[in-house]
Amino acid sequence: MPATFEQIAEQAKARWQALTAGKRPWIRVGYAISGQAAGADGVFDAAIAACNQQGIEAEVTKVGSLGLNYLEPILDVTLPNGPRVFYANVNPDEVAGILTQHVRGGKPVTARAFAQQPAGATAFDGIPKLADLPEWKMQVRLAMRNCGNIDPHDIYQYVASGGYSALNKALTSMTSDQVLNEVKGSALRGRGGAAFPTGVKWSFLAPSKAPLKYVLVNCEEGDPGAFNDKGILESDPHTLIEGLLLAGYATNSNYGYVFIRHGHDLPVNATRRAIQQCYELGLAGKNILGTNFSFDIEVAFTGDSYVAGEETALMEAIEGKRSAPRFKPPFPAAFGLWGRPSNINNVKTIAYVPQIVQNGGAWFKSIGTQSSSGTAIVCLTGHIKRPGMYEIPMGLTIRQVLEDIGGGVVGQKIKLLQTGGPLGGVLGPEAFDTPIDFDAMSKAGAILGSGGIIVGNETVEVVDLIRNLVAFCQFESCGKCFPCRLGNTHMVEVLDRMCRGTGRTGDLDLMARIGSAMKVGSLCGHGQLGYNPISSALKFFGEEFKSRGQTGQKPLGSFHDGSMILPTRTRP
Amino acid sequence: MPDPAPLTPFTIDGKPITAKPGQTIIQAAMDAGVYIPYLCYYPKMKPYGACRMCLVETEVKIVRKVKVKKGDLEVEEEQVTVQKATVASCTAPVQKDVVVRTNTEPIIDLRKGVLDLLMAEHPHGCLTCHRIELCGPQDICQRHVSVTDRCTICPKNERCELKDTMRSLELDLRTPLNYHRRNLPVHTDDPFYDRDYNLCIVCARCVRVCEEVRFDTALTLTNRSGVSLVGTTHGSSLLESGCEFCGACIDVCPVGALVERDYKWEKAARRVKTVCTNCPVGCQMIAEVNRYDKVIRFVADLQGEANNGQACFKGKFAYAYPNSKKRLKYPYVRENGVLKRVTWEDALRRVADKLKVFAPNQVAVISSPRGTNEDHFAAQQFARTVLKTQNVDSGLNTVPEIFERLRGRLGNAAGTHPAAHLERSKCIMVVSGNPTEEQNVLAVYMKKAARAGADIIVIDPRETELTRYTSTWLRVKPGTETLALWGIARVIVDEALEDKEFTSNRTSGIDGLKRTLLAEFDPAVVANECGIGEDLLRKAARIYAKSAPAGLVFGVGTMPREGRAALTDAVVNLAFLTGNAVKDGGGIFPLYPGANTQGAYDMACTPDPAQRGTGVADLAAAIADSRIRAAIIMADGLNAEAEGLNGLQKELAHLDYLVVSAVFDTEITATADVVLPAAPYPEQQGTVTNLERRVQMVRRVALPKNEERTGWETVAALARTMGVTGFGYKTAADVFAEIRRVVPQYAGLSHERLQNGGIQWPCADENSPGTAVLLATTQEGQKWAFVDHAPSLTRTAMADSGYPLTLVTGRVLIQPERDPKVAKRGDMNYIGREEVISIHVRDAAAAGIHDGDMIEVASESGPIVSGRARLDSTLQGIVSVTALFGGVVSAMQDSIQADASPYVPELPLRRVKLAKIPARANELAGAR
Repeated sequence: MPATFEQIAEQAKARWQALTAGKRPWIRVGYAISGQAAGADGVFDAAIAACNQQGIEAEVTKVGSLGLNYLEPILDVTLPNGPRVFYANVNPDEVAGILTQHVRGGKPVTARAFAQQPAGATAFDGIPKLADLPEWKMQVRLAMRNCGNIDPHDIYQYVASGGYSALNKALTSMTSDQVLNEVKGSALRGRGGAAFPTGVKWSFLAPSKAPLKYVLVNCEEGDPGAFNDKGILESDPHTLIEGLLLAGYATNSNYGYVFIRHGHDLPVNATRRAIQQCYELGLAGKNILGTNFSFDIEVAFTGDSYVAGEETALMEAIEGKRSAPRFKPPFPAAFGLWGRPSNINNVKTIAYVPQIVQNGGAWFKSIGTQSSSGTAIVCLTGHIKRPGMYEIPMGLTIRQVLEDIGGGVVGQKIKLLQTGGPLGGVLGPEAFDTPIDFDAMSKAGAILGSGGIIVGNETVEVVDLIRNLVAFCQFESCGKCFPCRLGNTHMVEVLDRMCRGTGRTGDLDLMARIGSAMKVGSLCGHGQLGYNPISSALKFFGEEFKSRGQTGQKPLGSFHDGSMILPTRTRP
Repeated sequence: MPDPAPLTPFTIDGKPITAKPGQTIIQAAMDAGVYIPYLCYYPKMKPYGACRMCLVETEVKIVRKVKVKKGDLEVEEEQVTVQKATVASCTAPVQKDVVVRTNTEPIIDLRKGVLDLLMAEHPHGCLTCHRIELCGPQDICQRHVSVTDRCTICPKNERCELKDTMRSLELDLRTPLNYHRRNLPVHTDDPFYDRDYNLCIVCARCVRVCEEVRFDTALTLTNRSGVSLVGTTHGSSLLESGCEFCGACIDVCPVGALVERDYKWEKAARRVKTVCTNCPVGCQMIAEVNRYDKVIRFVADLQGEANNGQACFKGKFAYAYPNSKKRLKYPYVRENGVLKRVTWEDALRRVADKLKVFAPNQVAVISSPRGTNEDHFAAQQFARTVLKTQNVDSGLNTVPEIFERLRGRLGNAAGTHPAAHLERSKCIMVVSGNPTEEQNVLAVYMKKAARAGADIIVIDPRETELTRYTSTWLRVKPGTETLALWGIARVIVDEALEDKEFTSNRTSGIDGLKRTLLAEFDPAVVANECGIGEDLLRKAARIYAKSAPAGLVFGVGTMPREGRAALTDAVVNLAFLTGNAVKDGGGIFPLYPGANTQGAYDMACTPDPAQRGTGVADLAAAIADSRIRAAIIMADGLNAEAEGLNGLQKELAHLDYLVVSAVFDTEITATADVVLPAAPYPEQQGTVTNLERRVQMVRRVALPKNEERTGWETVAALARTMGVTGFGYKTAADVFAEIRRVVPQYAGLSHERLQNGGIQWPCADENSPGTAVLLATTQEGQKWAFVDHAPSLTRTAMADSGYPLTLVTGRVLIQPERDPKVAKRGDMNYIGREEVISIHVRDAAAAGIHDGDMIEVASESGPIVSGRARLDSTLQGIVSVTALFGGVVSAMQDSIQADASPYVPELPLRRVKLAKIPARANELAGAR
């Protein structure tokens, strides 16, 4: 039932009021995949059971993830008009006790609470404020502003948090050119890895007069160690949908696809639900919010294939073909999905757009560094004390992220970082003072890419790690262009024998030769960047490689104990 | 003619050249004769960009105007930046003034780097063998390289594109990469093909040609990464993959992975361009000949205007009959029932003497169906001027009604447009034809149009391959095809969809036509008569009339003889009504069996109805009632089983005198009094004319080894023996010189001109480029007339005589809903599925048959097919069976006929009856 935006906003406000300042307490369970993996299911069930048993009349909601993955499962309790108190690593057994004391008794379990968000001036004693936590303090949460706070399946909670007001603003008071100019003015760069200026990309599509134009959102996200796209979709899908609608408006397009990797049920379901709600409220489809702007949205997927995340391979996948990259030119803006003009953006890129439209491009540009505006959403994993998903302003150094946010290494010392996915690269401690922005990172020999940072401590064998990365790239090559199909295969073979201890002199030169053929010769980024892991590792850990380039070495890592399962897709 | 789009100038290796609009760098380079190595690119296919062999360096100067401060002044200056890139030249479009370098050190190094990787996956003993300098193209030795790598594993030694590329790059093959052989089994169990994926380089040419040129998608890429390879769509045999065995994948394969099984190891001593003589499409082929003058391979020629590099199962695999040892080598005469070898002089003398015995109209001369224009011309000259008989025809002129009507309506007995232009059509109506099997490459153009969005309308009771491409299949009752066309015309007139400008300016008699249509062809009644829904009839009419240009392709495969002229009239009416007769991409295309029937008409080697001559179609009857008592038959490829020639075999025995010139000893020669050895196509030199009026050269590939003679040689020698002057031809070109003097459409043609490619007649003089579209230009005031008298609405009743039903056989590439049950017999795959026979409930009840019973369908000449009954036919009186295309291919491969292609069964309609197979047999069949 289409309504005006004011009607929707009013209803949202009323509902939010009832949740936070009504009579009933609001209990939220972090229910993203990180929470589920840690046992949020049990916590949620225990909370419902406890409420029933104890006669507590409370709103129990599944919300997304705050990004503090190491603290999952997180349960938080907000008494009417009271502060929001977070309990970390909650065991289902203790839920009843926490609720008894906190809800019925009105006193938080201070010993178990790790943080609180005061409601106005009201705060409990003895519990640190969330905003004061080191990992939270340095964050600037734009795209993740709602993550962990709202129910991703409830559009009204999103609207109550300011959602769709940017769309309303754009549709009622801005021309599509003005929206495009705000995005241009924000200097927003693509978050998928290539860091191409988003506004410029859009301006390739906007002038086309084609009757059907597509905007695609890429959530293939196959990089090991990256989960921020899926993180946004499962915790706050509407921010993406709103951004997509704005992108459609700015580029005068009329159809959007959200491409999600097959099998990621949470983001898929959340996004589908969000799209459905938008259609129900007249925020998608024909004549959005009563204006002349019409835009349809659909979720698409393919079978699991890393290369399907390459923009043209993704289009092939949506068309139902084998997901192998196309050659360029023609570029997607001229010949994209189904041969029609298309634009394709990463989830994170699009997720910034509502805020940019709402607050202006200049505001966004003021965040971050000169060359890289805005924030970076980093995924910390590996040998780090506080793994999680954090949104930081561009320009923080790697060391700040590791020490202050990540809480330092698990083990004795950090040996290396693996950033930007398997095609990104490896950084040694020398590079830890590099500020996190696109240009500085690539200068250092790695890429920011999708934002994944995998930390390795002193126990990590570099050659073994690189073998794993290259094996991944080999396995995931689509097999179309010769340098990538064959180069990766041979590179894995060389790395295998290095790990086995049967390396040969000249192996490094051989890999360099294969690498250079791949770098210039390959059809798409997968092959062109395929030598990156090795070249960056050589830069920092050349000695380790050199010592493996001869026979008689001890087998390494997983080869050592025989647990290595050799990749099955090497040769027919 | 619109101005051609401007050419783009650029430089390649310092040489200034130009590119046509839309060309990529490699295409422009090829046109300019600059070699850039490539493996996955293939002319006339979309670029793919996988092999990266064709990488080149490009340099573009970009001039920008920038404002620069000079002191206090701001001046505009030109800032020049140079953009350098390494691009794949197969995919990179030519930019204006781009500087391309194809041979820089880094580029060559890069190519070598990729080739190194490739060589580590591809057997390459042929390149590393120390005897390489001594190795000839056919040498095979066993001792010099490893077992899995030696020259006996690759049938393409010395004709391998990969090897050529390696040599051009002077790869030293001293890479430290480990070599891996894939050790996959070689697939040798499908008809005609051997597939050895150990040699595959995954360039995907075969997959792409199958998908993008042939639209069969029988091949696909399998898996990904290092294990990515080519396979069949269903992962099993080609027979069940939807393969039409056109051989396109073989022709494009750069290595030895896909090859023809026959003559697999033979190397070509020379290559000669010629024309396939299996059907009237006239595909230009390259015949590869070994050093023993045997044709060992037929490769479709990319330069062929009629076929654009495509061929079909017949053209690709039924070329080798001239190599047969069973060929007739010498002239024979029958003495006391036994053929006795004689000299040509003796044989001709006897024939000449004997022919004097008969009155002129008692003799018939039948020219060879695969004969050249020269053969046809000489034959008809001989018949008309020497024997003074009008009984002259060409061997496969089984549907003369089409040509006669087309001549009557259009002034020319011929198709109107270039066949390749069908791919520009927005709609193609196919009436009673099965081009996929009988005029295959024509179907390729139709499928291309369909892929580009054109609507295909099929009017045919049979399920043919093209019905898979149509949403509008008018499965009419047999014999009502013409009626359906009239019904369509009525709907067009009803809904005012006709091309009013064309009908008023270029045609006459539209009012009469409309009167007839309104009076006699109510759409509801027509639809009912045809056994289809009125909606479907209207839909077909709207699609055909509203899509311009729309082509009309018609055969008479399902029509009895007496209905064919009317069908042709209805077709022409529709093309006139919608103006499609003259639109580019529209047109009228008749389908008929003979490869050079068109040429026979052009040479007048057909009976003239005005002179009451007897042609092939009436020959059997004329012999039966002794009107014809003697005949000279040139029987190369004459299919006595073909419709129209049925019964001929029996009747030939009744002749008083029969002279046969043939390649093989067949049923035609069985009763001949004189048998003369004919020279088949590789030994012929001459021209043929295809269904789009394109006159093309058939070139002599080899000289006759024994005493064989071509048709015109035989006829001319006979004429000389009879003491007639005017047959002193020395060469085929001499005959052609006479042809161009006599046949006005051929006036501008000569063998010399045709060396560079075919030309479509009419070609008035030496300077005329020929005529692509026949009716495009007309004389002032010339108007085409409609035919406004309607055929009788009642269907032509076939004689009942105890065979109450009509069997409609169909054939399709795949039937996904049914398992083809491919089974091995010997080493080969065969389709083993049990046929399902669709019959109507009432017909079943009449024959006492229940659903699922095993039944047998029999015609007058015996049982045709047996299988399980399914009571789902929508038309009473119709029994239909659909077989798989693969069955035909297997049958062709196993054929005991040296020349198999004339024996490929067609899909005629037959009068049949049903019989239940007794329960005992039923049980056995069930158990099996």
